[in-house]
Amino acid sequence: MKENLRVRLVIPAQQVQEGGFVVIESGDWQFYGLVIDLQLGATDPRFADEQSESRLPPELAQQLHGQTLFTNLEVLPALMLERGPEPGTEAYQRWSEEIDAGMRERPRTLPVKTVPPHHASVRQAGPGDIAEIFGDPEKDGNFVIGYTREQGHPMCLDLDKFIQRSSGVFGATGTGKSFLTRILLAGMMHLNRASVLVFDMHNEYGFDDTASDTGQRVIGLRTKFQARVRVVGLGSGANIRGNTPDYNLEIAEGDIMPEDIEMLTRELNLKETTPTTLEALVNSFGRSGWFNAFSRMRNGAMVEIEEEGKKKRIPAPDSVAAWANENGVNVMAAEGLHSKMTRVFDRTYVQTQPAADSIQEIIKSLEAGQHVILSFGKHESDLDYLLVSNLLTRRIRQAWEQRTNEFRSRGEGEPRPLVIVVEEAHKLLNREMATQTAFSTIAREMRKYYVTLLIIDQRPSQIYDEVMSQLGTRISGWLGDEDDIHAVLSGLAGREALRGMLARLQPKEEVLMVGWGVPMPLPVRSRRYDERVWQELLGKKSEVRRKETEILGDLGF
Amino acid sequence: MSQLEIGRLLRADTSGFVVGCRAAQSMSPSFGSLVNVPQEGNYAIYGLVHDIRIDDDGLVRQLATAEGVEDSVIADNRINRNVPLEISVIAVGYRKGERIYHLLPPRPALSLDEIYLCEPEEVRLFTGSGSFGYFRHILRQEELPTGELLAAHIRQANQAHEAVEKGIWAKAAIREIITLLRDDHQTLMQVLGALGDALYE
Repeated sequence: MKENLRVRLVIPAQQVQEGGFVVIESGDWQFYGLVIDLQLGATDPRFADEQSESRLPPELAQQLHGQTLFTNLEVLPALMLERGPEPGTEAYQRWSEEIDAGMRERPRTLPVKTVPPHHASVRQAGPGDIAEIFGDPEKDGNFVIGYTREQGHPMCLDLDKFIQRSSGVFGATGTGKSFLTRILLAGMMHLNRASVLVFDMHNEYGFDDTASDTGQRVIGLRTKFQARVRVVGLGSGANIRGNTPDYNLEIAEGDIMPEDIEMLTRELNLKETTPTTLEALVNSFGRSGWFNAFSRMRNGAMVEIEEEGKKKRIPAPDSVAAWANENGVNVMAAEGLHSKMTRVFDRTYVQTQPAADSIQEIIKSLEAGQHVILSFGKHESDLDYLLVSNLLTRRIRQAWEQRTNEFRSRGEGEPRPLVIVVEEAHKLLNREMATQTAFSTIAREMRKYYVTLLIIDQRPSQIYDEVMSQLGTRISGWLGDEDDIHAVLSGLAGREALRGMLARLQPKEEVLMVGWGVPMPLPVRSRRYDERVWQELLGKKSEVRRKETEILGDLGF
Repeated sequence: MSQLEIGRLLRADTSGFVVGCRAAQSMSPSFGSLVNVPQEGNYAIYGLVHDIRIDDDGLVRQLATAEGVEDSVIADNRINRNVPLEISVIAVGYRKGERIYHLLPPRPALSLDEIYLCEPEEVRLFTGSGSFGYFRHILRQEELPTGELLAAHIRQANQAHEAVEKGIWAKAAIREIITLLRDDHQTLMQVLGALGDALYE
């Protein structure tokens, strides 16, 4: 089991690929595995070394090669399933009766715990096997994410399971991450078991877009889910690709906490004295008033006074230095912080008195079962992204924690599950930031509070290990960097075998699905984000409707 | 079944026997031919000819060096030899009743038993029965020219089979040889080389 299974191939090697899903039949059990390697072999190395074609007549050479040269597959066994005796026999009858009577456990797929015997026959998985393991595409909640690479059988992702834990979509740039994310979001929004909040840094998901590589029109999620999706623009008068968002997000100065600034240490190049200065500010003006007060102070302003007949220049009463002197704070440190924070003070979306509490509005939308796409509009810098996403997430986290605690104590009003979609996640979840942002807490423990993350990133190695290890489902496109590959596969069984597979994925439209949310790792040809996705998704809905009308008809209405 | 007598048994052991025959008789069996020795009680031993030996005697030596010997004398010496031609046969199986076994015979034939060349029909029956178990007797004998013997035998037997169904028997026989010899590269290549010459001219 440590060394994987070896399978002698009896069909041409071209018909099997690395990553193929195979079924091993052995008596009452079926084993499911993944082809992780193909090796050429010979009963004697000399048969492989010598060019016997030139020495022997072609018929003989062919027969000789047929028996002495071969291809071996290395199969990573993943799951096993009890199939029971041959259907139609008396033993099968007895077996199924025992199950029905509860004397025997109903067969279900188990992680592999034993090995099939020698010479068990191995075959490529058919659509039935894939449906057995990955779920039936017809069943609600199962969403066709792609097709098997060799035979093109549809492969499902159980979205219910997918949203139960944090997940990640990885891949080098240009491997189709954002298209795959669109498909996933479409699936989640359609299934509607959880609200989705997307931090859309590059304004891709809400409104219609044009694909960067093919130049084709890409339908936005807002276009298809008019009633359910709210696009929120950052800053008043935000304009997202020529469209007006449903409402705008403005941040009240009172909402900005010292920790939000501390989190920007690297971005603003802050000094170690920052926490002390911030603490003094909070002491002077309170948690909700410090930002406003500090932003109003003048940096370096001086006034002249006469003291004992001499003119003297001292800091103006509304200057940073005057406040620092009064509160025993290092003047240089306070002035330095003030000048560095100018970038934050200048943000147009940070208002003293915003027209509405738009953060609360977003939370309400999410609680009401709507999905929110927060487009950053023209505020595309890392500073905006870090500040806004962290602030918003902190508020959301508080709201959900509160609701969950209420639900736990009173037993009513179960919070609606929420998935927060974070692009460029390594900016928020890297080693230095992870302890300071709300995201790492969500990844680690918010599952209990109904909030999970969907991380989209091209440099998974930059994400904090502790967060990576908590990701349930990981969907990864091609990755070139050894460290990135290592990060994606961290904490998984058989990762050595999967490592090569990840590096050899096609650069486009092929992804490897691994982790808790999928029964076993499998490379998939991801589906195209096209009209068919929508037809299948929204088509299903109309079928349901027809059924309803039929029922009503039957009832005589 | 087989009626062409080729000689009488000189000596035998479990794994083979030697037949003595007259010069005229010696023309009929060839290297690789299947022969049989009928025994009492509907029992017969089968063997493959692997060596034909013509020994000299004193007179032959004298005649070989003498001058002006008449043709009739040479012909007489050839036909009425003092020392018989010796045909060595390796035992490959036996028949008991109608059943053919590719095992060594339970007991060897007796001296002066008559030996017959098998007709094509009998060759087909013997070689087509079972799954080439008699190959192992041939391969076991290290002193035999294995490749040549197998090539000659398969070529002859294939002719008997070709009359009934084309190409199937030889293919199966070659597959069996490869299976038996695939761990012995040198011998296998020798055998296949000989088979290539014999079958695919």
